[in-house]
Amino acid sequence: MEKISFYLNGKQVKLAIDPSTRLLDVLRIRLHMTGVKEGCGEGECGACSVLVDGVCYNSCLTPVANVMGKHIVTIEGFRTTKQYRIIADAFADFGASQCGFCTPGMILNAYALLKNNPHPSEEEVRIALSGNLCRCTGYNAIVKAILEIAEKGDIVW
Amino acid sequence: MAQFKNSTVKIDNEEKMSGKALFTDDLPSEGFLWVRPLRSNIPCGRIRTINVPKLPKGYYWVDAKDIVKENVVNIIFSDWPVFADRRVNYYGETIGLLIGPDKAKLEELGRLLQVNYDEEIPHFKLNNSKIHKSFTKGNLDEVIKNHDFMLEETFETGYQEQVYLEPQSMIMWLDGDKITIKASMQCPFYIKNAVVRTLGCSPDKVRVIQPAVGGAFGGKEHYPSMMAAQLATAIMKIKKPLKMVFDRSEDLMYTTKRHPSRTTYTGYVKDGRLVGVKAHVGLNGGAYLGCSGVVLNRGLIAVVDSYDVPNLDVTGDVYVTNTMPTAAFRGFGSPQTIFAFEMFIEHIAKAIGVDPVEFKLKHLVKKGQTTAVNGKFHDDIILPQLVEKAMEMSDFKRKYKEYSKPGSNRGIGISTFLHGCGFTGSGESTIINAQLKLTKDENDIVHLYTSQVDFGQGNRTTLKKIVSDTLGIPEEQVTHEAPDTDHTLSTGPTAASRTIIIVGYLCEKAAKHLKEIWKPGVYQEWIEPYVGPDYIHWDEDTLQGDAYPGYAWGVNIVEISFDPITYQVKVEGAWSTYDVGHAIDERIVIGQADGGLAQAIGYGYLENMEMAEGRFRQKTLADYIIPTSADLPMMETELIDNLFAYGASGAKGCGELTFVGGAPALCHAIEMAINRKIYKIPANPEYLMELVENGKD
Amino acid sequence: MVNHYIPSSLKEALKVLNNHDCYIMAGGTDLMVVKHQKSGIVPNFDKDVCYISNLKELQYIYEDEQGVHIGAGTKFVDIENSMIVPDLLKQIIHELASPNIRNMATMAGNIANASPAGDSIVGLYLLDAKLELVNVNGSRLVPIEKFILGVRKIARKSNEIIKEIFIPHHDDLNTYWRKVGSRAAESISKVTFAGGYQVEDGVVKDLRMAFGSIGVTCVRDQKIEQKCIGMTVEELHKNIDNILNDMSKNITPITDQRSTKEYRYKVAMNILKDFLNVIE
Repeated sequence: MEKISFYLNGKQVKLAIDPSTRLLDVLRIRLHMTGVKEGCGEGECGACSVLVDGVCYNSCLTPVANVMGKHIVTIEGFRTTKQYRIIADAFADFGASQCGFCTPGMILNAYALLKNNPHPSEEEVRIALSGNLCRCTGYNAIVKAILEIAEKGDIVW
Repeated sequence: MAQFKNSTVKIDNEEKMSGKALFTDDLPSEGFLWVRPLRSNIPCGRIRTINVPKLPKGYYWVDAKDIVKENVVNIIFSDWPVFADRRVNYYGETIGLLIGPDKAKLEELGRLLQVNYDEEIPHFKLNNSKIHKSFTKGNLDEVIKNHDFMLEETFETGYQEQVYLEPQSMIMWLDGDKITIKASMQCPFYIKNAVVRTLGCSPDKVRVIQPAVGGAFGGKEHYPSMMAAQLATAIMKIKKPLKMVFDRSEDLMYTTKRHPSRTTYTGYVKDGRLVGVKAHVGLNGGAYLGCSGVVLNRGLIAVVDSYDVPNLDVTGDVYVTNTMPTAAFRGFGSPQTIFAFEMFIEHIAKAIGVDPVEFKLKHLVKKGQTTAVNGKFHDDIILPQLVEKAMEMSDFKRKYKEYSKPGSNRGIGISTFLHGCGFTGSGESTIINAQLKLTKDENDIVHLYTSQVDFGQGNRTTLKKIVSDTLGIPEEQVTHEAPDTDHTLSTGPTAASRTIIIVGYLCEKAAKHLKEIWKPGVYQEWIEPYVGPDYIHWDEDTLQGDAYPGYAWGVNIVEISFDPITYQVKVEGAWSTYDVGHAIDERIVIGQADGGLAQAIGYGYLENMEMAEGRFRQKTLADYIIPTSADLPMMETELIDNLFAYGASGAKGCGELTFVGGAPALCHAIEMAINRKIYKIPANPEYLMELVENGKD
Repeated sequence: MVNHYIPSSLKEALKVLNNHDCYIMAGGTDLMVVKHQKSGIVPNFDKDVCYISNLKELQYIYEDEQGVHIGAGTKFVDIENSMIVPDLLKQIIHELASPNIRNMATMAGNIANASPAGDSIVGLYLLDAKLELVNVNGSRLVPIEKFILGVRKIARKSNEIIKEIFIPHHDDLNTYWRKVGSRAAESISKVTFAGGYQVEDGVVKDLRMAFGSIGVTCVRDQKIEQKCIGMTVEELHKNIDNILNDMSKNITPITDQRSTKEYRYKVAMNILKDFLNVIE
């Protein structure tokens, strides 16, 4: 057990924990951030995506030691922002969420993309989301929703 | 803004996007014990001994000896045991459960637990038929005596895994002496019935409640019944709350897949028309039959797809092998035969030197004609309009001509198809007997109760909307909660594209009746039983008659490019038109269309799951490949109304329809690009290399 | 009992490694898969672990007259976005794994993992990359092909760490890259090929060919390359079948759950042919 601290959705968290513990398990089991989903446990599906210092990580492959001192944002934190509202509204408009299991990870990745590249091309959107598997939508509505946001301009990224 | 007709934001949209929706593994489960299945590691043999290590306090072992009443999972053909008893018939069959508070400890105990077997030689060949079906239409013998051309070909399709993003999961606890279950599921009453059957208990001792469900596609139609029967056996023994959540690799290796198939057609052509077909469809059912017979039925009924062939001789078999049982997956047998027949009919056209697409269009079925099983197409068929629209959307004719030139390395293909909505034949009236309850409280809020699970298709929203539209009240004045078997009557399983055509119709009828008796300010209740069209007659034993209450229709066009250096295919475009009767909510139907076609494209060229010595070789999502956003183009879909008399506002089904035509449209396109004939899917680069290097053009 | 070390400087890390045989954890994207047991259970490490992903001293990219220096802790995403990294490597990284993985993983990790399907390794072989290994006593520079010994086998001594990847300048080298995966993105390679060439006045001045995923390590055969150097482009094109034939002996793929040896072999040959034809 080691003492490990990081910031979760703006608040400092201190844990005594095995440093190799998956960040995913820390978030879901210890900290009850159940919006972070486990779809595969091997970095293939992206359902466990979280923002670490502003970029998306697969929390299933992240030992908690690697986020010491870093700022982690999960969907629980992100959903209170106006950026979330913009993405969520576009997702709703296009029907980009069906079963919803991939959606929190998808939204965080959409944000990470738009923050760096507010006007992505369709190809750039498809590449940016290529680590987030969705089995319901065929990605059509998701890609369209993000392109629609990109049309609107830089807004607040 | 997206442009959709008559669409509303889904009830569960915000909770799912914001991560607030609680899926089974997200539910509070303090004090629940983890359940770790112990599975067979041989494909076939007798269990000599099970050596359970000494278990620490608070840990338990549960196996066939603990069965309360009946060691069988209640699935259509109930031959699958809850726990392997004295013998195992496939690699991965559950022998027992290790249960306890600490997951790591359970793994350790699992490694210590030893099962000794007398191994037997496993059977993997498709020759041990346990279900045989046959029917004929017209008189094929006459055609065999008198035809101009004959062609025989065999087609194969592989396993397909559902890859719902949320793996199988279930929690169970005792509320007094009542078992309560929350799980990732499709059919709450299937689960309930499975528990009732294995325990032999009274139905009022089992309650099933649906939490958020992360996709299903057929994969959660029957398998959760197995999990529930296992956990119920355990809970009766140890009386503690239980939790079983599969990791992805467990889910890939040990849950049911789509049936691999081998279909052989002999086609007879006379005067430029396909006048007769002899067909045999073989499905690998795995070690236990379960629903395989019904899957075969659906495959056989779709044996000539959407084409009129007057003379047929059709047989089919479900073969039993020592492999993981196969079961429901979107399309339920019809994707296999529709793929095979679509390829076959184009191959015939090529062989007699006529244009494949013209040849197909000449054979499209029409209203009033007989179906493959001597039923009648009672309703209008608008396939020609669907074809025309899809061709216009995709600029088909120009591309078809251009890409047909040798060396273009590009191709475009079209499939036309149908899907029978609802349970086969008169099953809706004779087997399921759905009953729908609608109540209105003193505040005039209407409460809709169904057993339909919304695992992404949006049916919680759609069904509610049917009720509010029919009553002419705002949507907010109607509630439609996720099913709880204590509160709802059974409106049947969420399967077979029946939710809208059957349950939606019930919603509309119930709402009409409630409207008639509406008295403000008082509690009212209406129970609506399903009564199907009286012209539907079906003989289950002979597979003759009207196979479905209604049919939905579709056209897919897929465009691809081909890399002759790597034999890789890139999907460049996909266009679809559908007749789903009428879309209650267009955005939701388009969502089904996009997702169904994407899954079908994956089935056609990417998704490869192989069996070696009874085990799946693809054990992770790094090995079992499904499409990413980078693998798919923007898909375009148009709906054309064709109202169905027995559907809510004319609506039919759409869930499976959007899956069945994708693989053949894709493969037609690939055939054009490589100038070779395709006989199996997935048409992956390894297979395409063989074709390009050695195949027939 | 396994110990976990989270050093706060390279010096501290080297001390740890000097005293303990450790797994070195960078981004975690390989180790956390290999050592994963089940959801909710801590990974199954059978020896100590030293975490280096927070060491800022290892996160840098700079160039000097000799070449480009990439700190071992630099994430793929930063290499991909760098203005000074050779285009070939950026192209390889762009197709490697997924965006999230590229945010987490390091190229040094890809090297140390020594998977036959490690994409960046192929580019590094082609560009004659060298690795700087350091321990408490000092450092040594090892060519990448001397560092990777086999499947998941590397020449790192237990007290060493990869500090830097050095890529000599190849300003006049034209490069070619093909990744054949099982899908358009996020895939483990079935075959990869990196090619490099330089032609002056119709004569081949430099020619390099490196394959991944078709043998236990990346395959680059400098004898074959040497044979071609000095040929005119015309001669090179006439000799394509000979070059393919020579190279074929090095192509020893396997059949696994992702592809077949026949496919890997044939595609490797097709790509090589395409590459040689591209040269002009």
